[in-house]
Amino acid sequence: MRRRPIAGLLMAAPPVLVVAVFVGFPIATAIAYSLGHVGGLNTTIARIARDQHTVDAWWQQTFGAYTDVLGDARVVRDLMTTVTVTFVTTVVVVVLAWVIALYLRFSGSRAAQVLAALAVVPMFIPVVIASWAILTFYAGDGFVRSVAAQLGGEAPTLGYTVTCITIAMIWTSLPFATLMVTSGVQSVPNALIEAAADAGASLPRIVRSVLLPLSVVPTVIAATFTAIATLGAFTVPYFTGPNAPTMLGVDMAAFFQSYNLPQQAVVIAVIVFVIAAGIGALYVWANLRAARDAGRI
Amino acid sequence: MTRRRILCTAAFLAVTGLLTACAGNGPGAAGAQGSDNPQNVRVYLASDTNIQELWEDTLIPAFTAANPDIGVEVQFDLHGNNQTQTVAKLAAADAQGADPGIDIVEGDPAQQAGAADLLVDPAGLIPGLSAVAPDIVAAAGPGAVPYRASSVLLAYDSTKVPNPPRTLDELLAWIKANPGQFTYNSPKTGGSGQAFVTTVLDKFVPPDVRAQMTTGYHKDLESHWDEGWRTLQELNQYVFQGGVYPNGNNGTLELLASGQVSMSPVWSDQFLTGQRNGTIPPTVKALQISDPPFTGGATPIGIVKASDRQENAAKLIDFLLQPAQQQAIAEKIAGYPVIPLDQLSEEVRTAFGDARPDQLRPTYFTDHKNDLNNLWDQLVPGH
Repeated sequence: MRRRPIAGLLMAAPPVLVVAVFVGFPIATAIAYSLGHVGGLNTTIARIARDQHTVDAWWQQTFGAYTDVLGDARVVRDLMTTVTVTFVTTVVVVVLAWVIALYLRFSGSRAAQVLAALAVVPMFIPVVIASWAILTFYAGDGFVRSVAAQLGGEAPTLGYTVTCITIAMIWTSLPFATLMVTSGVQSVPNALIEAAADAGASLPRIVRSVLLPLSVVPTVIAATFTAIATLGAFTVPYFTGPNAPTMLGVDMAAFFQSYNLPQQAVVIAVIVFVIAAGIGALYVWANLRAARDAGRI
Repeated sequence: MTRRRILCTAAFLAVTGLLTACAGNGPGAAGAQGSDNPQNVRVYLASDTNIQELWEDTLIPAFTAANPDIGVEVQFDLHGNNQTQTVAKLAAADAQGADPGIDIVEGDPAQQAGAADLLVDPAGLIPGLSAVAPDIVAAAGPGAVPYRASSVLLAYDSTKVPNPPRTLDELLAWIKANPGQFTYNSPKTGGSGQAFVTTVLDKFVPPDVRAQMTTGYHKDLESHWDEGWRTLQELNQYVFQGGVYPNGNNGTLELLASGQVSMSPVWSDQFLTGQRNGTIPPTVKALQISDPPFTGGATPIGIVKASDRQENAAKLIDFLLQPAQQQAIAEKIAGYPVIPLDQLSEEVRTAFGDARPDQLRPTYFTDHKNDLNNLWDQLVPGH
């Protein structure tokens, strides 16, 4: 079929415009604000904000707010916490999703189907409710410690710890990753697996050489979505985490609402945005690779 | 391929779920009544649910009964979560000369808006203001009218603490002698924890310096807080779970009610309401400490400068300062009246006899409170 670039462009124009106006434009003004531009659309927020770094002309920039934020030991500590929680959550979620997917693929029993269905349930529970449930489950007077006390032992109190944040993030991220990886692994043709088995390949060998290469794209999508969602999480660390260290999502809200320092809040948002963009690049790379493999580009 | 169909359905439901989760919860999402009457007064409340109930069940019915042609619409914002955006909205409306959609602001944002010169000067507009003591009016800040007051008390479980501490020094000693039994909420999430932090800081701030910090912003004076921050850091290991500070005034109340801690600072009105409703057991008691006492103060309310309904707004605020309404505030939420007690009933006079709102120790100026929230987060937890 002959390609019609103009028609394609016109079809893509409405969504591109919506994204540009409602997403791109606010991002541009926010970044300008973080660099000290308090005129124009930033006038209103600048009028009530405190401790702002400003410039006098449009070609000037100030990194004062960035120095403020990066010189703040608390923000650096919370950045490290955020990156660690994101890394651990992503690795655990991908491993768990793969275990469920492989179990479903090779067992296919009723138990496997029930497990795969149960893994998706957290998706239908609002995050606020889930956070409270997880907090009370691991609290000082919660289920875990109550059972341990009944058995004569003592379980650690995980409520209000970074471990609790990580558990809750895994809990909320697992369903999507399971859906992605399960469907990826399920779509590998049986013939390929049987051929490998006939040639004498062991189960680990089949996973490594057949299933894994054919499910890279869904796995990368699951991992990037989990990582980006964890990076910007607010509700889970706010409810289940300690006062310090906490994650950057909580810091952003505190800088904006409680300290009335919107410029510094935007700077933290830009930092999270840059990290998320790095993870997003991985996602784009995976998609491009898939498209090239399929011969579409 | 039933399995694939199940996965497809699940994926579809998941996307729907994500989209639903994105629905907003800003002010107006909850309480806008959508009436177009230009006589109506639109009130923005940035408080807890007890204040919402006070307005919707008591104050508004009384006002509309007395002024049948004026309606009152409440925009409720729980804990003032969106108050910064709301003040920004007022500033934008003021700059453009447009209708802000809000005529009256209540609570902390009123002080913030007053400081940003977004409120009308109430002198002359509101006759009832003359009944309020001048120093209470001054503490509310420019443009703001104080209309109810409360203070922070020390609540304790009387079954576990037979002899509660009576002074700040005794309280600090008690916390160290009873590890894990005390906590306060992080100051940015509620006034009761903020009052405890303020009171500990005040121990080391000279009275004349403090007076300046309650009426204006002097960042250099915050160096007087250093000793107080060190005291609060030392408390970390003796606080609940070795340094856990729950979010919100209710967070500490829940820990206290469930017996996980046996002492914490609480708001007087929240405590009395909770005890009346049964959410706080009767064995939990409250007292005011001395040397220095916990802070308290009047809640401000103000008329938005950009509003074109200022006359009716002034009528409503004047109505709130009348004895009947002050009496209702005292009865419904155990709030302290701001007008002299001799204008109120015998019961209210006896109940609030020792708690004269003009003797409440005022808290810091808004900008200092913002700095206090910020510094506490930097210096106290995890150190």
